[in-house]
Amino acid sequence: MKAWWLRPMVRLVAALILPFAVPAIITMMIWALPGDPAEIICPPEICQGTEVLAARWNLDGGPWKFFSAWITGAMQGDFGKSWRLDQGGSVYDLLAESVPTTTVLILAGLLPLLLGAIGAATGLIPRRVDPVASAVGLVPAVVFALLCAAVVELNYGAQSFDTEGSLVRLALGALVLGFADGAFAGATTGVRALFSTERKQRYVGVALLRGERPLANMLPNVAPALAGQLRARVLHLLSGTVVVEVVLRINGIGDLLWSGTLLQDFGVVLAAATSFAALSAALLFIQAVTEIVVALVVRRAPAIPTAVPVAQRAAS
Amino acid sequence: MIPRKLAIALGVACLLALIGLGLFAPAHLSEFNSDRVYLGALDAPPFGTDQRGRPLLEYAQQGASVILFPSLFAGLVVGGMGVVGGLLRCVGSARVDTAVQAFGEIVGSLPRMVVILVVALLIPAGSRGLLPLAFAWAVLASPGAMDEAASVAERLGGARFVEALRAHGFSWSRVFLYHIVLLNLRPVVVRQAAETAMQVTFLEIALSYLAAQENQSSFTHADNVKSWADLLEIGYPSLVLDVPTGHALALGLGLVAVVTVMSLMLASAARAR
Repeated sequence: MKAWWLRPMVRLVAALILPFAVPAIITMMIWALPGDPAEIICPPEICQGTEVLAARWNLDGGPWKFFSAWITGAMQGDFGKSWRLDQGGSVYDLLAESVPTTTVLILAGLLPLLLGAIGAATGLIPRRVDPVASAVGLVPAVVFALLCAAVVELNYGAQSFDTEGSLVRLALGALVLGFADGAFAGATTGVRALFSTERKQRYVGVALLRGERPLANMLPNVAPALAGQLRARVLHLLSGTVVVEVVLRINGIGDLLWSGTLLQDFGVVLAAATSFAALSAALLFIQAVTEIVVALVVRRAPAIPTAVPVAQRAAS
Repeated sequence: MIPRKLAIALGVACLLALIGLGLFAPAHLSEFNSDRVYLGALDAPPFGTDQRGRPLLEYAQQGASVILFPSLFAGLVVGGMGVVGGLLRCVGSARVDTAVQAFGEIVGSLPRMVVILVVALLIPAGSRGLLPLAFAWAVLASPGAMDEAASVAERLGGARFVEALRAHGFSWSRVFLYHIVLLNLRPVVVRQAAETAMQVTFLEIALSYLAAQENQSSFTHADNVKSWADLLEIGYPSLVLDVPTGHALALGLGLVAVVTVMSLMLASAARAR
């Protein structure tokens, strides 16, 4: 039989590797591209002092020197400098400006998913709603976001970047994230399927006969699967932020990543992608810890020592 | 539930329509024609014209040529990986399962769009195309397909199922290709492949639209080729301004709907009996 700890252990190891693997791969890519990386920042045709710049930005000693300097700085909160987007400006400042917005967007986008999941688990959202949610979920995020952008422009026009307009754009962005690309439908049907499978277990029937609530009995057992679903949903939202933020002109980390990619600003892309990787690693870690706690605490009940003497007495 | 024959007919019809559009796509758009600017579908059949009098049909054809091969290729990759995932579960090896899980955890733990943008950075400006991005998307979608196919194989009995069929005297190829893949993994594999093809199409539209919004070149195609995102971009002003480009928006959304219907119908056609 497969050891129970294998899956959470793989997740823990992956969570440890991710925040380092992502910047390492991007660094390798920078050197894999044709030409000298310093020439991306300072092309010799239009700019002088490329060597000095390369030395100052740790680009003169190969990928390892650059990576080790960058990762050391990143662990101390210094994410280096922007290569093109805000040339020479601190990437930390750009991140500090965009991360709170994206965090609000993600949390607001998560709200309909959580409500949908709770509704599906408790039965408040009936099964007949699923086809409607699935149909809404077929709309791609870019189309949904376009319609929302039109709504904002029609209602706010030039004032759409004022406080109220920005809040509306954020709310509509959360709506898009929560419902487009099957996010809400996935959350409700996934949780519903999970609980309906678990409801068939014998212990749930026993709990019902005892007059206990099935949900309270099932919840500890489905916690690891729920943690896995939550991780998948948050990843889905994170992926969607790029499209939503650019189309709705929300200054978040997705917009920053997109701008960095368009301008080949490796400084920004490195930091933004590492931030996403760190968040993904945190989600993996939470799932692994949930699995370990459930395996050690929940799955051990009822305690074996009390059960064995009863069985022995019955045999004797 | 849609009858299987109807699902097959609709799915294949949509696929053939896309193939037809893509195969007959012109290399370049027609010349400007100021007399035919913003004509609707009735005045310039079948889909009307753009702001320079060029037929929107050419946009639809070029857009189809951009997505056709990469999306089908991505679908095949995901389908193939799903088959591999299901068959590996039938091997019944804990080590193989752990290796597959580790692959899934690493590959599937990052937001897909982030990985796609990082891959897009690698593509030199002169050789931009959807294919590498579609392949990256397929690799990222593979763990889900492998996991689902593996669950189906496990419910089937995994290694014990193979053993039982072998005891009946069936050959390896019959056991794996017919009983496991064709009869049992087919619904999952076809659905995952169709969904991935649809997602790659949506990815192309999203990336091209975002680039067009910033007046930049798209990562997915050359500048002289138009994408379906261009139809959305032409059509969007009709929502907020008094610009007669609603027909372009309708065409763009219609093409998105065709791809969605194709994906749904193919998945429905392959469902378990």
